Amino acid sequence: MRLQKVTSLPPQAERVWQVAIHPTLPLVATASSDKTARVISLQTYNSLSTIEGGHKRSIRSVAWKPGLTGESVLCTGSFDATIGIWRRYEHDLDAGNGQGGDEEEEEWRFALVLDGHESEVKSVAWSAGGNFLATCSRDKTVWIWEEIDEDNFETLEVMQEHTQDVKCVTWHPEEVLLASSSYDNTIRLYREGSEDWVCCSLLEGHIATVWTVEFEKPSSPRYREEWGSRLASCSDDLSIKVWTRISRSGSAAEAKKAPPSILRGESIEENWAETSTLPQVHTRAVYKISWSSKSGRIVSCGSDGRIVVYEEISTVDTEMVESDERKPPKTEWKVVAEVGGAHGVFEVNCVQWSKRWDKDTKGENDEVIVSCGDDGVVSIWELANT
Amino acid sequence: MDGKNANPTILNASDLPTRRQAQQKKVTSPLTCGLVPAYAQDPFVGNNVEFSDPDESQDDSVVEPIDEQEIYDLIATISDPEHPLTLGELAVVQLQHIRVTDDPSEIISNVLVELTPTINHCSLATVIGLGVRVRLEQALPPRFRLDVRIREGTHATGQQVNKQLNDKERVASALENETLMGVVGKMLETCK
Repeated sequence: MRLQKVTSLPPQAERVWQVAIHPTLPLVATASSDKTARVISLQTYNSLSTIEGGHKRSIRSVAWKPGLTGESVLCTGSFDATIGIWRRYEHDLDAGNGQGGDEEEEEWRFALVLDGHESEVKSVAWSAGGNFLATCSRDKTVWIWEEIDEDNFETLEVMQEHTQDVKCVTWHPEEVLLASSSYDNTIRLYREGSEDWVCCSLLEGHIATVWTVEFEKPSSPRYREEWGSRLASCSDDLSIKVWTRISRSGSAAEAKKAPPSILRGESIEENWAETSTLPQVHTRAVYKISWSSKSGRIVSCGSDGRIVVYEEISTVDTEMVESDERKPPKTEWKVVAEVGGAHGVFEVNCVQWSKRWDKDTKGENDEVIVSCGDDGVVSIWELANT
Repeated sequence: MDGKNANPTILNASDLPTRRQAQQKKVTSPLTCGLVPAYAQDPFVGNNVEFSDPDESQDDSVVEPIDEQEIYDLIATISDPEHPLTLGELAVVQLQHIRVTDDPSEIISNVLVELTPTINHCSLATVIGLGVRVRLEQALPPRFRLDVRIREGTHATGQQVNKQLNDKERVASALENETLMGVVGKMLETCK
């Protein structure tokens, strides 16, 4: 297979740190050092609007709130230690009427600012249903917020489990389970306990900063119900690892059946094990991975300017699985496509799989990769079979 | 122990390696040089003729590989934040501790600079490292990836300093910090 560029957008003034794909509409949002977030159409690849004026420093992270119709809500996390919530009505972007919304630029409304972090906010993430918002910062904390009324957020928990900067937060696609990765080389998982949110697992194995963590989606072809969604991580140590849950205890295992009061005081613990290490292609820090919900492929990018796509090929030691039922299978991955200098001589900060929406779309399962880099450019890539 | 070295070893500026003052003649290939005198085309002239471009510094059309000496000249003139001396004079920056990998067939080139703090608990090691980074980021083309490190065994918290200096987010954030950039700006004032 071959990664080929579909198009590149005109550069933003400064580095683009992140791109985020809208959960239902053909939109991608950017987070840039120029203190703005830009919204781009995935049908026409035109820039639709620029969100500005809310942050005093770089915008590092953006996230679309899922589960909404008729309105889009975007969350921005900035080096100025604050989090912005922005709203915009979506009238004309219904399926089959894609062009209508592009013409008329609707205003983004700055709804509110969430403050509390003491230093740079590095990552923001909405839970699968949009009920919770997680944020993390160089101040070593992970915050969980709940929107109790429209534009009224309450802090549910402030967790300081990491010993250094928290680089990334991400939610499990189905369970109320949060993962965070850090400059302290570890990954931590959190659940809602009987009274508060607690750290239920510590994943050690990386030997440098863990830049990103992301869960597998249940729609992925390699998803196996008995093991649930796996977790992928990428690091400054150049490696990409996949982790699988082996066991859970306490209310984590019983959460669906038992009322919380019975479990008071009981520990909530999960055991996760490293079950794959992807082939190492990158020669410098791996900043971001994205796990496709359609193909199950993982794409990665990093400081060396490469974009690499991996596919899971086989399960190793199947015999061992029979002898020990609770041991998750180790799997092997291979590189299926790779492109160097994806953003010229610049570092690639983020890659993200997206459903394909443009005029060349071939079927429902067609996908593109959206990338962004230090050149301020957002590029679109397709995986060609030739 | 306040992390300051009141009595550092100082090298004589004239003993420092540099290409700046040196009157070495530049050997430029006539094929890549912009202005080639007519006699250079004469096959009988031989190969040992040297051409010096009268306006050498203005000629940006020739892509020259960057070497260790050039990196040294860029950063040795940075001032120490606590002494009225340069990093070259204090031997914080040393030519033999710079490594450049600039292979024209590769998209990305690398520069590794190892710093030797004047004392092993120098509290300003991070600021000095940041100054070196900023100087090189401003002066070098974007194909260069910079690794600025404290030389092994020369600083009590070397590993922590190295991690900070090479963390993209931390560096990006430091560049937005006006107080810190004020200090770095002062250090770079002595750079030519």
